[in-house]
Amino acid sequence: MEKSVAIIGCSALPVGKWQSKPEDANQVLEHEVLAKLVVEAVRQAGIDKSDVQGLSFTMNRHYTLQKYFATFMANYLRLPCHGTVSEVLGNGMTGGWAFDNAANDIVLGRARVSLALGVNFETAARAQDHMMSSMRATGDVDFQSIFGITPIAWYAMDATRYIHDHGSSRAELASVAVKNRMHASLNPLAQFRKPITLDEVLEQRPIVEPLGLYEVPPRSDGAVVLVLADEEYAKSLGKPYVRVRGRGFFHEGAHQISEIPNDMTAFASVQGASRQAYETAGVTAADIDVAELYAPCTIVEVLAAEALGLTPVGKGARWASEGRTALGGDIPISTSGGLTSRGHPAYVTPLYSFVEIFEQLMGLAGERQVHGAEIGLTSAELGNYNAALVHILEGIHQ
Amino acid sequence: MIHTINVDRPHPYPPRVTEFTRRFWDGLREGRLLTTAGRRSGQAAFPPKPISPQDWEEEVDWIELSGQGTLYSHTTIHAAPAVFVDELPYRVCIVDLDENVRLATRYVGARNPRVGERVEIVAVRYTDHISYAARALEPANNH
Repeated sequence: MEKSVAIIGCSALPVGKWQSKPEDANQVLEHEVLAKLVVEAVRQAGIDKSDVQGLSFTMNRHYTLQKYFATFMANYLRLPCHGTVSEVLGNGMTGGWAFDNAANDIVLGRARVSLALGVNFETAARAQDHMMSSMRATGDVDFQSIFGITPIAWYAMDATRYIHDHGSSRAELASVAVKNRMHASLNPLAQFRKPITLDEVLEQRPIVEPLGLYEVPPRSDGAVVLVLADEEYAKSLGKPYVRVRGRGFFHEGAHQISEIPNDMTAFASVQGASRQAYETAGVTAADIDVAELYAPCTIVEVLAAEALGLTPVGKGARWASEGRTALGGDIPISTSGGLTSRGHPAYVTPLYSFVEIFEQLMGLAGERQVHGAEIGLTSAELGNYNAALVHILEGIHQ
Repeated sequence: MIHTINVDRPHPYPPRVTEFTRRFWDGLREGRLLTTAGRRSGQAAFPPKPISPQDWEEEVDWIELSGQGTLYSHTTIHAAPAVFVDELPYRVCIVDLDENVRLATRYVGARNPRVGERVEIVAVRYTDHISYAARALEPANNH
């Protein structure tokens, strides 16, 4: 029988601005931050260092000077091991791939415990300089980047189209930002925790119309360590854990836009990935108690939730404005505060989603606890949700 | 044929031109919007490619597009990469051409774009490079 994977511990840096500027006397370096989180996560998991047999890192941003980070860290942590020691990259899905990589170590029997981990430091770079790189990650350099199309401009065009197709409004979409800030106010890991009103969101300066400053992601640094284990081993520890119950992935074979016209806001990748994830988990969308979505902008949460079947198509924004996707609502979404308020250190953002679902399913989410949460969902994506990676997780209380 | 507009400055971030794509950019200079299509399938690709992405045909033909289509979506950008900061704010859009091809480009012209409106692709001649953009298709623009 195929081995199943459990999450038995995690640690995370509060999302914020951590990266030092080149001229600072005291530098804040990625490997020091991450090494402390590794030791903390392994201690909390209640296992021994020698149990850890794999290190699956997210790729660092190009600002990180230490190269070959995975093998550097194997040395820094003095960790001889037989599993994976590597870095993965997949745009916004990077953290999801690191998770899958570590899980594969366990499924393939190469490790009893494997870590999915990473650090994303980028805030010392100015936004306009950072976008010189990110626009090339989210578009064809010679046929799209030449027009200055920024990563979130694609999401803004989703918003324009969604409002047109479904008679929604900017105010309905903006209510997602208000809801997520309320969630973030209850999350010690969140970057922005002061509650905001709908009027405040609507008054912000435009960034990519119709979206304003509070409807798009901030610049963020972050670092996360997840401890993954063979479920049999997790059981033997005699403590509650989170089980990976299902997984689905789908790339629609297009990047940003499909050259053959399609319904861009249907998020075909999410439909395909979630179908596979629900099937392997033996659940339906109605069984999900809490969902932590990769959604850099308000509109993206709305579209992903609809494609996942968590909200009705064309009504997702309205559901948010009615509080139905907030804590206490029909289906709480982005209880961490989401990317707009918890923050968005992009390469590790999906790892923060696992942290949130882990805490929810372990009953450790404090004031933002979804009562009785048993089954949670995470999604990761890249491009304009051209690919989606969906995991269904279950809390096991023993 | 498509119209050409002139811009009195260099392109802030010009495309790289290959031996293969040179025909596309040269076509724009002549007021023609070209791309490739699979020889068997006839399905147009965009941008032009030396293979047909739909069925991986190795034989492709250059075809000329009308340049006319429908505006699928648009946004106005107020925060830009460094090389485009001087142009802020600027509009970009997604256009569905009548030949069943979707592309993204700049949206130019004084009018506010409207989803579903008819648009045309125009060649944009910078002082150093050729590019393209979309604008509303209306009698005033047909000269």
